[in-house]
Amino acid sequence: MREFKPLPSQPAPQDTVGPIHWIKENFFSSIINSAATLIILALLVTVLPPLFDWLLFSANWSGTTQDACTKDGACWVFVIAWSKQFFYGSYPAEELWRINLCLIALIAVIASSQLLSKELRGKISIPAFLLLPFVSILILDGSWIGLEYVSTDYWGGFSLNVLLAAASIIIAFPLSFLWALGRRSDMPFIRSVSVILIEFFRGVPVLALFFMGSVMLPLFFPEGTNVDKLLRVWIVLTLFMAGYMAEVFRGGFQAVPKGQYEAADSLGLSYWQKTLLIILPQVIKISMPNILATFVMLFKNTTFLLIIGIFEVLSTTQTALTNSNWLGGHSTEGYLFVAIIFWICCYSMSRISASIERKLDTSHRN
Amino acid sequence: MTEQTPVKSSPSFFNNPRNRSIIYQILLFVGLAYFFYGIVSNTMANLEARGIQSGYGFLSTTAGFDILMSLIDYDATHTYGKTFVVGLLNTLLVSAIGIVLSTLVGFIMGVAHFSHNLLIRKLATAYVETFRNIPLLLQVFFWYFAVLAALPSARQSLSIGEAIFLNVRGLYFPGLIGEPGSGLVYGAIAAAIAAIFFLKRWAKKRQDDTGQQFPVFLTSLGLLFGLPLLALIVAGFPFVWDFPALKGFNFRGGITVIPELMALTIALTVYTGAFIAEAVRAGIQAVPHGQTEAARSLGLKESKIMKLIIVPQAMRVIVPLLNSEYQSLVKNSTLATAIGYPDLFTVFVGTTLNQTGQAIEIVFMTMAVYFVINMTISFLMNRFNESVSLTER
Repeated sequence: MREFKPLPSQPAPQDTVGPIHWIKENFFSSIINSAATLIILALLVTVLPPLFDWLLFSANWSGTTQDACTKDGACWVFVIAWSKQFFYGSYPAEELWRINLCLIALIAVIASSQLLSKELRGKISIPAFLLLPFVSILILDGSWIGLEYVSTDYWGGFSLNVLLAAASIIIAFPLSFLWALGRRSDMPFIRSVSVILIEFFRGVPVLALFFMGSVMLPLFFPEGTNVDKLLRVWIVLTLFMAGYMAEVFRGGFQAVPKGQYEAADSLGLSYWQKTLLIILPQVIKISMPNILATFVMLFKNTTFLLIIGIFEVLSTTQTALTNSNWLGGHSTEGYLFVAIIFWICCYSMSRISASIERKLDTSHRN
Repeated sequence: MTEQTPVKSSPSFFNNPRNRSIIYQILLFVGLAYFFYGIVSNTMANLEARGIQSGYGFLSTTAGFDILMSLIDYDATHTYGKTFVVGLLNTLLVSAIGIVLSTLVGFIMGVAHFSHNLLIRKLATAYVETFRNIPLLLQVFFWYFAVLAALPSARQSLSIGEAIFLNVRGLYFPGLIGEPGSGLVYGAIAAAIAAIFFLKRWAKKRQDDTGQQFPVFLTSLGLLFGLPLLALIVAGFPFVWDFPALKGFNFRGGITVIPELMALTIALTVYTGAFIAEAVRAGIQAVPHGQTEAARSLGLKESKIMKLIIVPQAMRVIVPLLNSEYQSLVKNSTLATAIGYPDLFTVFVGTTLNQTGQAIEIVFMTMAVYFVINMTISFLMNRFNESVSLTER
């Protein structure tokens, strides 16, 4: 009888684990891949060191005038010297606390919507949100509340981009909600008005809307009334945003299961009770990532205001570049700086929206 | 015991949904009518006060300004109507180039996200995350004022083989000029396209009937190059190259791409390409992995799996997204006005509006144009979408 002799266990094959295998798998899995890896590495080696050298190591960091830029690298002195204008525009220096106050109020309101308990949230955060744009205008303008009057001609810089985008989305929120409801309504006239509004503001280039705001809107007001340029821009931005958000909300409404509407009806809730208490919270939850994406788009589009002569951050940069004391060709540094600011803001918002998406994803995927 | 009166079953007049909806709609109508009446009467009064005549008569008056670049014959003695056409053609040109290039970049970067090579994957992600999050206008300025403005002057231009030149004034490359007999070649190209169309239908019918496959792609390629080549030989090469050459201070001859067009095209391509790459990635990710595995277990080659299994299913997700990306590209091409590329917006809403003051007519015409272009894109893409969408029985 033959005896059963187990063979000694073999070690794991060496080339399927460990760092060597990882490198092989990720960089040299085939001839084409190896070639691609080598080409990309060669490109990175030739491009990155000079780039970092220009950006950081041979860059000029200290000084106040153009003459301080003696090294070959980037002249960050330019950005530092103009940083106040880039952020606040030409708002009077001793009144800057007003802009800061508005920005802090904005952050506080956003934080309150996250931190407060559920009951307080509805009673405090929502009214605070809706009041914020008007309170901010009162503070920044100042003439109604006994502060020194600052004309909107002096408002500008990156803070204007932020505040204008925030003020537009806040007012666009209820408006777009109504338009989306109108588009889903059974009433034919209300439905067609909503469809026309939404499609108009989505179908026309935003620049055309801004031009409408600056050359056509004044014609619509009664003779002699002079509506402030920034106010007209705010109206246009709000309507533009409302068009896009209405479509986002429509998608949200469609995604709420029909049973939810029927359950609300069978409880005997009125139309507004049903919409506001049952449907809206679910819609907002579903649409949150898209709302943020739309907001990012609006925020980036605030730079277009340069074309109709609003001193937002890009416009301020252009002015700084043509200043006679700084004619050393600093456009790369200037645009790079603005690009980095926008990138940080938009990237973090897209991260937030991705994390919300993950948090709300209750579906069972494997 | 008192007799209980039965509860009235029909609701009161105002609680009846039908009556209520009629009242709401009448209220909205009256409100809107009042609003528009106010706007129109204000506008009339304002226009009269400023002494602006309304109407489209201005279109036939002489424009009196030059346009940097024009695809058709134009000079300052032509009419405002002609400026409209010049601007429209320039808008269509930049939109078409932008759509083709951004689709190319977007698909390459979107597919690169699934590469086996880690470096390629990371580069694709870096590209998307960088350019999606920077305002487009800033990118236009960056290319125009920081990159293209730093190119060398005409005398020191960068060149490839003394045929293609790049300098601060633009990009110059040789153009083909057709001589008598070139019509035959154009005819051959048209014939080749028609032949491919019929070949495709025939091959599909044959595969449906007999199961045999026909190498459609290779045959099409052969037709597309073979027929025109044959025509070229028959007609005796009726084309001459027009090379750009430095004469005096600038290049003459060939085809010139002005820096404004280059900057706008690069910015639109890079920006929209990032969004298209995201759409392509989402489309491919939406195809369940089981499909790939099933195809592999059937023994299909990797290239066939991509072409026959993954791409057709991914297109269902990609096409609607592409539709909106193309539309926003066309709308974003209006940023031309910031660097002075003479598109419809720059020429018509910028200069013509400034000179004539006909704000309402001009803004209306421009909006109508963008509406029509976007509706056309939407129509074509929806047709395309129908052909790729899921057919359920």
